[in-house]
Amino acid sequence: MTLSTTSRPHGTASRFRGLSLALAGSLLLTTLGTPAAVAAGSDEAPRRTSITPVPHFVEEGESAGIAHRYEGPWEFFVGGGVAIFDCDGDRRPDLFMAGGSNPADLYRNQSPTGGALTFEKVDSGVEASRLDKVLGAYPIDFDNDGVMDLVVLRLGENLLLRGKGACRFEVANRALGFEGGREWSTAFSALWEPGATYPTLAVGNYVDRSAPGSPWGTCHDNFLFRPSGGEHQDYSEPFRLSPGYCALSMLFTDWNRSGEPALRISNDRQYYRGGEEQLWAVSPGRPPRPYRRSDGWRHLKIWGMGIASIDLNVDGFPEYALTSMGDTKLQTLDDEGDETVPVYTDIAFEKGVTAHRPYAGDDLRPSTGWHSEFQDVNNDGLWDLFIAKGNVEAMPDFAAYDPDNLLLGQWDETFVETGDTSGIALNRRGRGAGIADLNMDGLPDLVVVNRSGPASVFRNVGGGSGDAPRPLGNWLGVEIRQPGKPNLFGVGAKVSVKIGNRTIVRDVQIGGGHASGQAGFLHFGLGVSERAQVRVRWPDGNWSHGYRVFANQHVIIERDAENAALWMAD
Amino acid sequence: MSASRLRRLAPRAAGPALAVLTLALASGARAEDPAARPWDERVLTEAIDYDALASDPSLSVEALSEKGRHLFEGRFIEADGAGRPEATQAIVPTKRRRAASHMFLRLSGLDANSCQSCHAMPVSGGAGDFTANVFVSEGFESADFDTTDPQFSNERGTTHLMGAGLIELLAREMTADLRAQRHDVVTEARKSGAAVTRKLETKGVSFGEITAEPDGRVDVSKLDGIDSDLTLRPFGQKGVFGSLRQFSVNALNQHSGIQPVERFGAAWTGTNDFDGDAIADELSVGQVSALVAFQATLPAPGRKTDLPEVWSTAAARGETLFSDIGCATCHRPSLPLDSLIFQDPNPFETAGTLRPEDVATPLKLDLATLDWVKALPKDDQGRTLVPLFGDLKRHRIADAARETLGNELLSQRFVARDVFITAELWGVGNTAPYGHRGDLTTLHDVIDAHGGEATEARKAYSALGEDDRQSIIAFLRTLEIGK
Repeated sequence: MTLSTTSRPHGTASRFRGLSLALAGSLLLTTLGTPAAVAAGSDEAPRRTSITPVPHFVEEGESAGIAHRYEGPWEFFVGGGVAIFDCDGDRRPDLFMAGGSNPADLYRNQSPTGGALTFEKVDSGVEASRLDKVLGAYPIDFDNDGVMDLVVLRLGENLLLRGKGACRFEVANRALGFEGGREWSTAFSALWEPGATYPTLAVGNYVDRSAPGSPWGTCHDNFLFRPSGGEHQDYSEPFRLSPGYCALSMLFTDWNRSGEPALRISNDRQYYRGGEEQLWAVSPGRPPRPYRRSDGWRHLKIWGMGIASIDLNVDGFPEYALTSMGDTKLQTLDDEGDETVPVYTDIAFEKGVTAHRPYAGDDLRPSTGWHSEFQDVNNDGLWDLFIAKGNVEAMPDFAAYDPDNLLLGQWDETFVETGDTSGIALNRRGRGAGIADLNMDGLPDLVVVNRSGPASVFRNVGGGSGDAPRPLGNWLGVEIRQPGKPNLFGVGAKVSVKIGNRTIVRDVQIGGGHASGQAGFLHFGLGVSERAQVRVRWPDGNWSHGYRVFANQHVIIERDAENAALWMAD
Repeated sequence: MSASRLRRLAPRAAGPALAVLTLALASGARAEDPAARPWDERVLTEAIDYDALASDPSLSVEALSEKGRHLFEGRFIEADGAGRPEATQAIVPTKRRRAASHMFLRLSGLDANSCQSCHAMPVSGGAGDFTANVFVSEGFESADFDTTDPQFSNERGTTHLMGAGLIELLAREMTADLRAQRHDVVTEARKSGAAVTRKLETKGVSFGEITAEPDGRVDVSKLDGIDSDLTLRPFGQKGVFGSLRQFSVNALNQHSGIQPVERFGAAWTGTNDFDGDAIADELSVGQVSALVAFQATLPAPGRKTDLPEVWSTAAARGETLFSDIGCATCHRPSLPLDSLIFQDPNPFETAGTLRPEDVATPLKLDLATLDWVKALPKDDQGRTLVPLFGDLKRHRIADAARETLGNELLSQRFVARDVFITAELWGVGNTAPYGHRGDLTTLHDVIDAHGGEATEARKAYSALGEDDRQSIIAFLRTLEIGK
């Protein structure tokens, strides 16, 4: 059945006609709110096509001035992160990219609003010898001065880089009593615990190469750095999170809406023995404690590479996308679970996000997933899931051509693969990544650090082209601040955006993904709503009043302010 | 899966076969040649191709407006897509919790099967009597309300649309001007490294002030009478809708259950039959454009001529008094308009209503070709003086002493219950009753109801002698919609 037999012969504007044609042959499904399915070939299983608008991405890494590669020996088969944050106070996201055996690079964003991406490589002020062997980085204002700092994960001493403004940094390890260690660090997360002035830092480590029998069964312990009490910031007494199971991603997350985040750790089964995915209770003033079987925690072994978290069904309990080799997991709290019992069930198959093998090309071997992240890249108000993909190096049992995934959320609550139709399916081995609006046009762009290949920097041109971008749905950029308080940028807060009857929520977090973190405006797609009400649950649990804001703007919400302020890119 | 989700999904899962059959029947009926049944009751029988219109160098504004008139005045039937059994009246596509019990419901809609059924006085596109009042709610939570209790909805009179094209053009120019001023302030703050505060004013109307910080932050808390995004939204009694197109898309769904593709189509809802009435893609962008063209070209109200001398003398005196006592502070006799090119879509449109970026070539209607526009006065800069008797600004119009014009309990679109856009008085002479609810029978009554920011002007009116007050009434009665 084609659309022409079911809709009257009205003229349509070209964009809407394009959509209609894409839907031809699928009226029955679209009527039921289900993504269309079309057969790629007569003997192939039908592949669904997205009903929600597919954004177009244009790779502009080279023209943007970003010549960066992540490479190196075995130790850098993992890692390859990127920190996306503002280092010079202009609110435009800048990039700090891990280089492995190459130096890490810092790029200042000079992209004109809505224009082609443009970056300038800048000197961070940190001596070069300390910016080698970098696996990943996360932005965090760890000293509460309002200038974003960096936590840099390395093969060897990790670094706390204090931001000085103007994209200059200094190593603050000694000043903060932070022992960077000699481990192979591959994961990070942080939060401000209740009443704390400074953040608690969690560092995840990979294989202990010095242990007998390494690498098999020799995962290093992870560490929790709690600031000592008082005004002096001191991390000299870390807590050992043992056992460690070769963490590749960790995330403080309020999994049970208790207001007390726990530490979720995704571990690589390739090297551990008797290990599993982990969840640590981190109660204020008490030693961390791993959830065990007796607590309801279920044994799960995956090649855990990256954690993405979002509350898909807005029930207060976040869902977690866990990348792995083979299928991606999408965990939701099981019927047997509750606020005290963390029992999860995998809904990846029913949601269409297993992404277990390449969707393009003819390599049928399993995929290898790394960074994962939920964002709304087409601004339709539905969360989308990005997964960076790429063979570890030359593993013969896994796909060699393994393009990144862009799974667009659909109205029937499933996801549909659009990596190829959106233009991101390059033959590169993805690792760390991040999605942020680099040119401040409301269309989230994409940065992927690739192993032994150039970093990909995609400009989202919406429904248009590089020469003529076109917006998709309405959007909102939200920055929250707590002036006069520690944790200025509200890590641990929840931002709730109401459009019509629907509510979209996301947490302000540091951690997750694969060795890659972000700070800056929180992006929300608003679909066809031209306004929204924003409420913030601040880290101490107090809710703000509703801020009434209009679409297609950046807004700044300061705690206790009567109105949201605007931020103008130009 | 939660129980509520199960409830939502159940009806859809239960009836796919029925839906398919119904759709097939509906489409079959529409596939017939309309000429074969000249008595056909359907309205939507003619395809209107937006792209063809926009690229037609010989496009006739009048011809397109006539197509729009047909849609504006036509009585929609179910085969057109009238009815929205599974959708609420909300502007953002919203599903009903349960199917509507009746096709027509006076309050939550459908409450009309034609635009003209309300906008009819004294001509098509005009105002409506109290019987044509509508009930305004956001329509998200209480889709099935069936009470006139104002806690569930605001009851509003139907305003006229005459001259609406010029109103929208004024609003666009004012929006562009205000945003340019904001840009200048932000640029100056960035350049100087210090906060810059500036009053915003366009076409002689002030809209408060903004303060820009050197880092690009803008404090909008002291804006006055306009939304914080500096989009001047001139339509609706609150002044909360930015364009005829946006208003039309909203109203078609709310009042008649006709769902335009650009808002309710598959791109934004996942289905081409969001309202579940078995009619897919009910109204195309081209058809909405025809409706917009009709409304945008509706002649502006004028002045009653051929008056007896006693009336013309009184009216002249009244017009002077109207200005002298402060009425014209808000009810400005005219605002100057630079350009008469009506581009459809509106350049400031947002997703959910057709945007310029959604089309290859925007449709442009040159209103200067219309005789009634040619007859409008120009200022010394060649700008058309639009005699609206308004300022396109929102004001607090009620207070404790005079609460009649704030007689609503619900804010609408972020605008407080006692704040409304200045009513344009052109056409006020033959569009009684008055007031937002259409429940004031005389011009004196509505003037006397002014409170809030209009208190001083109202007191000045009240302080006039009877003859002077009658002069003002005589003047206002000359501001008529032509028949």
